[in-house]
Amino acid sequence: MLAFIVRRLFYSILVIFGVISVVFFVMNLLPSPARMMQGQRADLATRAAIEHQLGLDKPVFERYTDFIVQTAKGDLGRSWTSNRLVLDSILERLPATALLALSSMLIASILGVGIGILSAVKSYSFLDNFSMLFALIGISVPAFVLGLLAILVFGSWLEILPISGYIDQGWQYLIMPMTMLAVRPISIIARVTRSSMLDVLSSDYVRTAKAKGVSNRSVIYKHALRNALNPVVTTISAWLAALLTGTYVIEYIFNWPGIGLMTVDAIPKSDFPTIQGTVIFSAVIFVAINFLVDLLYAKLDPRVKLS
Amino acid sequence: MSETSEPKPSTQSESLSAELPIPKEVIAHDVRAGAPLAVSTGTNETELLTSIPRSLTYYSWKRLKRNKLAMGGLIVTFLLIILAAGASFLAPFDPNLQVLEYATKPSGFRGNVILQKSQIAGNAADPIAIKSYRIDGDNVKLVTIDDLAETVPISTLAGSNESDWHQERIYYLGTDQFGRDVLSRLMYGARVSLTVAFFSEVLSLLIGVVFGALAGFYRGWIDELIMWVTNVIWSIPSLLLVIAISIALGLGLWQTIIAIGITGWVDMARIVRGQFFTLRETEYVEATKALGLSNSRAIFRHILPNSMGPIIVIATAGFASAIIYEATLSFLGLGVQPPTATWGQMIHDGYGYIAAGSNWGLTIYPSLAIMIAVFAFNLFGDGLRDAFDPKLKR
Repeated sequence: MLAFIVRRLFYSILVIFGVISVVFFVMNLLPSPARMMQGQRADLATRAAIEHQLGLDKPVFERYTDFIVQTAKGDLGRSWTSNRLVLDSILERLPATALLALSSMLIASILGVGIGILSAVKSYSFLDNFSMLFALIGISVPAFVLGLLAILVFGSWLEILPISGYIDQGWQYLIMPMTMLAVRPISIIARVTRSSMLDVLSSDYVRTAKAKGVSNRSVIYKHALRNALNPVVTTISAWLAALLTGTYVIEYIFNWPGIGLMTVDAIPKSDFPTIQGTVIFSAVIFVAINFLVDLLYAKLDPRVKLS
Repeated sequence: MSETSEPKPSTQSESLSAELPIPKEVIAHDVRAGAPLAVSTGTNETELLTSIPRSLTYYSWKRLKRNKLAMGGLIVTFLLIILAAGASFLAPFDPNLQVLEYATKPSGFRGNVILQKSQIAGNAADPIAIKSYRIDGDNVKLVTIDDLAETVPISTLAGSNESDWHQERIYYLGTDQFGRDVLSRLMYGARVSLTVAFFSEVLSLLIGVVFGALAGFYRGWIDELIMWVTNVIWSIPSLLLVIAISIALGLGLWQTIIAIGITGWVDMARIVRGQFFTLRETEYVEATKALGLSNSRAIFRHILPNSMGPIIVIATAGFASAIIYEATLSFLGLGVQPPTATWGQMIHDGYGYIAAGSNWGLTIYPSLAIMIAVFAFNLFGDGLRDAFDPKLKR
């Protein structure tokens, strides 16, 4: 087990190294940031001064190694607009995003797995067709469209929910962003659960269990579900990781002061350190969660350790 | 740009139909030497099915055709492509012509305009919103929407016929805040959506298939390297990566295509790699080695054709999500820039009215367009997946 942990840890670090490299090279495709900071009227001397201050006059390889070392130390740079440390801003906004992400994923997991199991057990019934059609609609609607429609219906027409703001003004501010954020993961989790359950339900050992006279309920929950949950857990963890690191459009639409809103706000201001900081931070969280899930798998399923 | 969105249907239907509709009569000749062909007229399908084995593609297409939802999705997709490709003829009006007097009018609004030759180079015409007009010799006497009487020489009007310079416009879906026709903008927006989705998916497909094939076929350090790259890209939230790349490349059509394309190949690479892993072990691929055939022959003639099912399924899903990414990008003000109409941008422009509950059409119509496009494509993709799945009998 220890060898497995060390191997996975090493690989995770390798992946994060890759992410930092990708971010560096993507951001180096940019036209000179100094020029962008100054706008069209920048004179050469000012530009050179800013480039020197940002270290842009050094050779690319040196900047690359500097960037890796700096990032490895946890320094994500300073925002160009507020001059605050990017990491500080991210950590400050993490609770808002985490609240939204966790509550959303809680709903999504319960509903998604529930709908998926029901659909698989009653496959090709009206209930199954109906919920799968809805799940397909759920993955076809972009989050921002869903958010805007909800604002229009529940905020403007029915006037039962507030349309923008943070939970510190009251719990009802959480409802719309949370629900709208959950629609897509619910749909995907339901689909994954259903197809995984169908796979398992058609397997030999389930047939054996049925032949032995095990009750239907027991076959579904004891034999099938446990084995069908693997891909479901993968999906849920991937979504949790993705949502934890910012739910860009939903936060933007509902004016929810999380990491996503900060990133979207940084786009028109061309605040690249903030954007690249969020990218790296997101990837680190994502890799960390995957690392933990891998360990969980290895614990649950000894075969994983060997691969 | 009008041609660009067309290749999608043809490649799609060709790849599916290429091997299919051998007329049933022909098969009798093919089999020649007396396989027990019960039917040669091909009227009885089940007998044929039991007598001659055919390719998976054949059975898949048969199953797909029976799936009404999937075919519905395919038809809607075709309609969208026709609307997008033919927007220049089919759209009622110029999508960028602003009639400020007719801003934010509701669906079905009727308005009269007189078109003047534009003073500004590049503009098609300058419209004047009018209540009424009459021709008086070489001049047109008109009453504007603000009840001002004006006289304009016919020679300054756009076009020579009365039908050229006078339009009684019906805005079926209303107008936006600049008095532009929403329906026309939707049709032109479909162009951008489908073009970006198609080309970015082609890019993803190429990268994904090449990487997946290399990793799955050669294994060893090539596989480890490619899987590392795949994991790196997978670890970055896609939307964030698309945003970062499109900021880095600048804003525009091809930049958006590249940003979405080089982000979206991960699923494809994984699936293709998995296919190659399994198929490389099959006997027919082993036979190519025994026969001394080259690797490329094994890859292109044997393994790749047999992986087409999953590849097509992933590509359809990728196409659908590319539409969503494009819409999200342009909603955030990235992507293809104004004045080119895009769905995401139309939603962004209309979204200010939502909080007040007015002019909701400006948000709803482009939203519906995105939902219909993505939903239709996903329906088709789901049908494809079921059709290619040999385990499903229904």
